[in-house]
Amino acid sequence: MSKASLLHSVVGRVVAVTALGAIAIGGTLALFFAANSSLKHANQENARATAIDTAAVNLRVHVLELATAFEAVVGGNGKQAVQQWKTAEQSWRQPAASLAQAAAPSQGLEAESLGVRAQIEAFLTDFAEPVIAIAKISPALARSSTSQTERTIRIDEILKATDTMSTVAASEAAQSSASANRLAHRAQVAGLAALIFAPLLLVGLAIWLAKSVAAPLRRTVNAASEVAAGHFEVRLDDRRRDEFGELGHAFNAMTKSLAVSRDELVARAESLEQAERHKTELISMVSHEVRTPLASILGFTRLLLEREVDEDARRRYLEIIDAEATRLASLVSDFLDARLIEEGQFALRPELFDARALVLEQAELALVHDEAHDLELQLHDTPLLVQADRLRLTQVVANVLSNAVKYSPAGGTITVGAAPSATGARIWVDDEGTGIAPEHRAQIFEPFFRGGAPDAGIPGTGLGLAVSRRIVHAHGGTMGFDALPGGTRFWIELPLEQPVDEVDPVRPRPAPTGVPSP
Amino acid sequence: MAARTLRPLILICDDEMPLRELIKAALGDTYRYVEAADAQEAEDVLGEEQPDAIVLDVMLPGKSGIEFLTELRRASTPSPSDLPVVVVSAWQSADDEQAAMTAGADAFIGKPFDPEDLASLVEGLIAA
Repeated sequence: MSKASLLHSVVGRVVAVTALGAIAIGGTLALFFAANSSLKHANQENARATAIDTAAVNLRVHVLELATAFEAVVGGNGKQAVQQWKTAEQSWRQPAASLAQAAAPSQGLEAESLGVRAQIEAFLTDFAEPVIAIAKISPALARSSTSQTERTIRIDEILKATDTMSTVAASEAAQSSASANRLAHRAQVAGLAALIFAPLLLVGLAIWLAKSVAAPLRRTVNAASEVAAGHFEVRLDDRRRDEFGELGHAFNAMTKSLAVSRDELVARAESLEQAERHKTELISMVSHEVRTPLASILGFTRLLLEREVDEDARRRYLEIIDAEATRLASLVSDFLDARLIEEGQFALRPELFDARALVLEQAELALVHDEAHDLELQLHDTPLLVQADRLRLTQVVANVLSNAVKYSPAGGTITVGAAPSATGARIWVDDEGTGIAPEHRAQIFEPFFRGGAPDAGIPGTGLGLAVSRRIVHAHGGTMGFDALPGGTRFWIELPLEQPVDEVDPVRPRPAPTGVPSP
Repeated sequence: MAARTLRPLILICDDEMPLRELIKAALGDTYRYVEAADAQEAEDVLGEEQPDAIVLDVMLPGKSGIEFLTELRRASTPSPSDLPVVVVSAWQSADDEQAAMTAGADAFIGKPFDPEDLASLVEGLIAA
């Protein structure tokens, strides 16, 4: 899964929601820390302002003492005054240093404090000491109004400067406090907002997350239930770009594969069922085909053995026994042929002969005892030479003819023909039966396949056509059928041999075309 | 001649000619016979004649012997519904016999059968 689709994955969403919650909480906390630190700073500022103010007041006291002592010295108050001056001249330095120290963190205030000190130094060196020196010489001069004014100005300036420092420090502290208060207020508001909105935001995100997981999960559960109920055509949305898309993809692949497996199983079950049905039909067919002639043979034999019968009846019974035994024998031979087909063993004894003769002979034989159908012959004028096993080809033609008789309604015409075609020698038999049902056409040459014959009560083994086609194929020919408007045409096509002079004798029987059988 | 006309009439319905011959031979001269090769022919016969018993094959072209018998038992005319019917079948499982009896057969006999068995079966049914 690419980074671009991070938000489309469930894991990505969980991470995103958690991160948003963490940012909300972290932001609020950071704001509180900032407010706290700002308040601490404001407290420090206040303490410094107080220290500066205290130091400034202290310094002012000493400056006033200095002024008083100066006044006393200049006033000529004797040694006590001189002593007082000497003390004052030194004692201001300590408070001045304290002020400088208190003002040190602020460059402006520190410079200011140094300025104050310089002013005091200047008062001492530039004014007080020279005036005191003058006072020793001329006390009157020293006490002049000019001197007094100068002193007042200088002392006032110094006091004013210390005052200013107090004011500035107090103002800076006030500013700092205000700023800290504003920040604290902001932190309070933000904290309150975070307190109210963060849970709402988190709950909202949690609901969104749950929905984005729960809804597709619900659909998956429903789809799984459908599959459990056997509805394999159910599909999940596999175009989603999250894990549910992947789940949908895998789920759909699973249901598809389940459907394929089920269809295969159903098909296999059906084919087994069909095989089972064929087996049952085969057993039922064999049972009928064998028991019917056996019933006649055993029944008539029993009658001959147990009853006195006259000569006519005896002969008639024996004829029936003979015919039915022959029928059984041909049934057994059909089964043997079918087995040969299965094993692919067909020994042909080919000879060159006129197929028209064989067709005519078999047509007459098939219909001589059949009064229910008319025969129409369509035989070509010239010999139709084929290189074939005469007995096997006879078997094929007889089979197709007997089918035509079997499946044609009484009064119908059976048309038998033989003629050269574009690809060889063609033999055909048309009946006027009901035709072969479309769903049976593909299987008509399968061994034991009898289509609708069992339901119609038409006897047979379902082997005749299968054996016939195998024989025709063994000759290098083809066999098939065409649906006619009123019936079916079965045809056989064999390689046509060119007439050779020494082939003799080819005795085509008179080929009556369009003549019904007797 | 009067005695001859009193001989019971048997309808034999079987598509196999040799089987019809065998049934006639087995039952002998005691009866008169009328033959049908399928259910349709049998119905036509019943429209004209009143047989005393029917020997009926199961596997007939078109309508089966069982279907024919079921319809015969359902209809009161043209033949009495208590007309004795012997069903002859190449299929002789318990199911096949049960189907024949359910359809209304009085007796069931499988192919191949002993001619004497069939004869005594028919004789018993007509006498009853």
